[in-house]
Amino acid sequence: MTKTIDPITLQVIGGALHAIAEQMGNVLYRMSYSSIIRESQDLGAGLFDLDYNTLCESDSTPMHIGSIPGYLRGIEKSIPKTDWHEGDVVIHNHPYFGASHSPDIGIVMPIFYHGELVGFSANTAHHLDIGAATPGLIIDVPDVFAEGMLLNGLKLVEAGKRNDTLWRYISGNTRVPGLVMRDLEAQIASAELGVKRYCDLMDTYGRDTVEQAASQLMDYSETMLRREIAKIPDGDYFAEGFMDDDGRTRGVRLPIKVTVRVRGDDVEVDLTGSSPQVPTAFNVPFEGSTKVACYFAFRALLLDTYTHQEYIPQNEGSFRPVKVTAPLGSIFNPIAPAACEARFNQIQRVVDLIIKALAPVLPDKCTAGNAACLSFASYSGLRETGDYWVLIEVNEAAMGARPRSDGPDTIEELMRNTRNNPLEDLGMHLPMICDRYEIRDDVFPGAGEYRGGMGVVKSQRFLTPGFMTHESDRNEDVPWGIFGGHEGATAIVRIENATTGEPARDVDAKFSGMRAELGDVVTYLSPCGGGYGHPLNRDPAKVLDDLLDGYITPDHARDVYGVVFQPVKNGYGWGLDRDATTALRARMRAA
Amino acid sequence: MIRVGVDVGGTFTDLVLEQVEAGGKQRVFTHKVSSTIADQSIAVVQGVVELCAIAGVQPSQIDALFHGTTVATNIVIERNGADVGMITTRGFRDILHMGRHKRPHNFSLQFDVPWQSAPLIKRRNRIVVDERILPPDGRVETALALDQVEQAAELFAARGLDAVMIGFLYSFVNPDHEMKAAEIVRRVMPDAFVCTSSEVVNTIREYERFSTAAMNAYIGPKVARYLDNLKRRLAEAGVNAFVRIMQSNGGVTTVEQASRNPVGLLLSGPAGGVIGGRWTGEACDQREIITIDIGGTSADISVIRDGELTIKNPRDTEVAHMPVLVPMIDIDAIGAGGGSIAYVDSGGAFRVGPKSAGAEPGPACYGRGGTQPTVTDAQVVLGRLDAEHFLGGGLHIDPALSEQAIRTHLAEPLGLSVKDAALGVLRIINNNMALAIASNSVARGIDPRNYSLMAFGGAGPLHGVALGEMIAAKNVISPLHPGITAAMGLLVTEPRYEFTQSSLTILQSGSDADFVTVNAAFGRLQAEAAAQLAADGIAPEGQRFERIAECRYVGQGFELRVAVPDGPFTAATAQEMARRFFAVHRTEYGHAFEDQAVQMVTLRVIGSSRSDTLRLPVLEKGGRRNPSEAALYARPTTFDSGETIQTPRFDRLKLRAQDTVVGPAVIVQQNSTTIVPPGFVATVMKLGDLVIARASQEA
Repeated sequence: MTKTIDPITLQVIGGALHAIAEQMGNVLYRMSYSSIIRESQDLGAGLFDLDYNTLCESDSTPMHIGSIPGYLRGIEKSIPKTDWHEGDVVIHNHPYFGASHSPDIGIVMPIFYHGELVGFSANTAHHLDIGAATPGLIIDVPDVFAEGMLLNGLKLVEAGKRNDTLWRYISGNTRVPGLVMRDLEAQIASAELGVKRYCDLMDTYGRDTVEQAASQLMDYSETMLRREIAKIPDGDYFAEGFMDDDGRTRGVRLPIKVTVRVRGDDVEVDLTGSSPQVPTAFNVPFEGSTKVACYFAFRALLLDTYTHQEYIPQNEGSFRPVKVTAPLGSIFNPIAPAACEARFNQIQRVVDLIIKALAPVLPDKCTAGNAACLSFASYSGLRETGDYWVLIEVNEAAMGARPRSDGPDTIEELMRNTRNNPLEDLGMHLPMICDRYEIRDDVFPGAGEYRGGMGVVKSQRFLTPGFMTHESDRNEDVPWGIFGGHEGATAIVRIENATTGEPARDVDAKFSGMRAELGDVVTYLSPCGGGYGHPLNRDPAKVLDDLLDGYITPDHARDVYGVVFQPVKNGYGWGLDRDATTALRARMRAA
Repeated sequence: MIRVGVDVGGTFTDLVLEQVEAGGKQRVFTHKVSSTIADQSIAVVQGVVELCAIAGVQPSQIDALFHGTTVATNIVIERNGADVGMITTRGFRDILHMGRHKRPHNFSLQFDVPWQSAPLIKRRNRIVVDERILPPDGRVETALALDQVEQAAELFAARGLDAVMIGFLYSFVNPDHEMKAAEIVRRVMPDAFVCTSSEVVNTIREYERFSTAAMNAYIGPKVARYLDNLKRRLAEAGVNAFVRIMQSNGGVTTVEQASRNPVGLLLSGPAGGVIGGRWTGEACDQREIITIDIGGTSADISVIRDGELTIKNPRDTEVAHMPVLVPMIDIDAIGAGGGSIAYVDSGGAFRVGPKSAGAEPGPACYGRGGTQPTVTDAQVVLGRLDAEHFLGGGLHIDPALSEQAIRTHLAEPLGLSVKDAALGVLRIINNNMALAIASNSVARGIDPRNYSLMAFGGAGPLHGVALGEMIAAKNVISPLHPGITAAMGLLVTEPRYEFTQSSLTILQSGSDADFVTVNAAFGRLQAEAAAQLAADGIAPEGQRFERIAECRYVGQGFELRVAVPDGPFTAATAQEMARRFFAVHRTEYGHAFEDQAVQMVTLRVIGSSRSDTLRLPVLEKGGRRNPSEAALYARPTTFDSGETIQTPRFDRLKLRAQDTVVGPAVIVQQNSTTIVPPGFVATVMKLGDLVIARASQEA
């Protein structure tokens, strides 16, 4: 290898790599057709070296970031490095060969520079339907084969020539070929762009310099993360929670146990003690999902991009200090052929429990309990033509309060960061109508010096009969408050019928392939985050804001926050009674 | 005829006055005054009066005044706009609070959500009423509850709000309820600024439409007040010219229209620079230009293709993290400028910006208490900025302070020489700018090898050649007055009004009935544009109309702009549109699906009119090489190669047309310095602009 690259060239090449990944991501979501990719941006894209190290990744959805090396290692089992040709495009989604989960299809192209394989350009995107047992999403299925097409390192294009047989096979095995095939084209365009730009970069700086710079940038990211880990006192930190059920066996909770072992500048996340694997798809692929969640947790906690001024490159370096352990046969490391498509709620909870475990030693970096879930709703039906329509929608939730600020309301928290579907866009194209989309108003925010974020309430009405699958959790385990803060609220899933007037009934968080009737309204109320610090320490002006904005009542303000209001005639109705507040707070503190 | 252009920046207000006498004799004067932040109109009027004195004319003789202002933008950045009330559909109170539910940071737990922590409209002032319009045809499921609207308006009045926005779902297919509600609010609150979402931007997607209208209402009262003040102060100073305001789309509008639709002014400031860049390009016979306006804290980048401004795809337009769906020149601002601070981070990485020393304390060399090294300090250390020409010699600078800052904060920690550290600062900042240029050009299929890079703003010509090399531009242009290019641009703008309508017509399978609807929509939009131009006093023969359809493949989420051919919209037009769409799609993404259905989503008509252009005096022909008449003195100057050379300085005011200056050379003028490195040659164009190219390419 060449000698160390000067710091200036290093920044120059680092910036270029970052820009390439961003452009790859942009091409992918702008060109794509399905709302899950184009609107929600449920995708990832980047460049990888011959050892499958991440050189750069697009700043899209955290779940995808860090998952692609698993795909590459999985593909090597069917395509050794000697079998790559210039112009190949490989498609891969096998969860027991490194994929994140089966709907996240990976597209990989080799990068040849002057005839020599130098790396890979790759991306992943969540596809609307891969021909699983039920349209869109699945939960209650017997095994991985019921998840739909398993594509294990197949050459979709070989040395520039498309494999039309494979292309037709995929097209014939999805319910929405018009969307899926075009989305694959967008993925290929994105990968081609990566190949071209990486070669351009090598033309400009020379292969050795680029590779050396990439290696140093990984070291840099690793150094930055290790420096922060080293500041945490050595020790074993523990937290636990539970999932509602596996989507079939009702009433049986699934424990999640997280032990974080800090030793110097190394850290291990050990999930031993968590639930054994379950008989439904509610398992988590180890390589492509469990590990990625743990990587995310430490980046977000220790290299928070909001509080850190410097941009720290998104590359392999930030994965290296983190070791992940989950016993084979557990929910976080299932044995084939267990199904493992519905894995997002569990990994959200892993991240949240890592935060909880470390909160006592990272009080200024942690959060109170987050919603840490994912409501993934698949709505579908048949048009009069006999074609399927399928919509997968991600419902947002909320975050726990933070050391210096309230938890954000109605937002994508932790491993997810998709965008919602514009209601008007859906309404123009699908036989569904949204009846309500706003902040939950049936519960108070998790009280605290900083309050927890408020969740969402969203009601979707079927205008024709159809089907629905809902992958969700946290109807039972409430997000916790921290350092004196109060707990948040659990989720509620409710179904009623606007046409027949059939009354509302609360249902389980997860259901599979439910037949929906015309007029069925499915309402999701997401969890709300917990509070941080004691409510008596909350700035009374903020309590007044919450009252005027309709989050709390005067009685709640008095009983929980010790804040007293008086009527005022300024059109808003209430103002602070400072003296009464001071007196009441003194009494409450003394009590 | 006397025309004045006034461009207000964060630090300075720049002015240009052009006088054309009866015989065609023409004179141009420029001036610069300190901006008055609290009320920009004070400095505007002061500058105008002083400039009139310099030009020897009376303020009352000014015929037209063109103004670029950052007032609208500053209200948003400083979040000191109006208390706004919103009336919206029951069940959807929090669309503005939820946004697109994506958080602004992936790897963060402590992040801020600007639209929640500093909302344009607080939740307490978002009131829901019964009403329901259903897609896709706009039929009414629930009639508007007029009494609830009235109660909301009364409550807003009691709360003393001075602006109200009405936003209902699906108003882009049926605006009836919004219009009815607005009527009631205007009756109850006659003095309030009232707008509806569909009249501000009549397009699909509720969050983006509501956000745009909320922004309009948020800045509305203050912008109107500012424009009133400006008119009043100008009148008091004896200026009775007609006044035109620069808009984000690169055209000018009347004070009245700007007051009604202030959301169109959010890029009023930087737009003038791009227009000025285009105009300078024309003078240099260049139609393919990348402009970069480098100021103290930021650099604004834009691309001019075949002499046309690049208009940003309205899906991508946002201001302060909030979508604002109005036509804007595609200007990419990055945090890199003369004041950008260079430092070594805790992991040992060499960083420059985006933190800036600003105007106060400014770079270390200002000696105003700034101790951290900036880009300007690096220029000083390398001998590229001479103390006596800094801001025309009006500001004292101390090179020793620059050197000390770079030694302490960069050279010693990194084990580099001061010179290498200073060169590193420039290389990194130039690289940041070059990457931003690349993502606005190469990434969109534009080959910079066919483009001139025009670097302006006071610091622009210091970086021009280095940037041009990094992006492999054809050549580099240093405009005659780099520091006031934006003000000059104001004198070459045209009125420009845009009107839109949602469509959702499929091109390849549109029926005759669909095309009747499209023609009717274009007819109506054009009539609106014509009425606005006529109201500005532009006769029908001077009016020009451009038709655009924002199109996508059926099922895609992002539209691309496609020009609509003239004449009635027929099936043949639709086929041509599809072909044009494929071409645009291929340029933008590298691929096109020619067998796929294409849908028009938004129809747009742009009404404009050619206005007078600015005529600068043509320079006397010189044709000299390194003219001794313009030579000043020579000093050691370090170039990007690391080589330090005794380098001659030339006085730009003494250069004539077709003179050439062979690098190494430094060309100085008030407020700006142009670097010509070894191996490059600067050629003086007919108006005094410099075109700098590799010596081997010299014409």
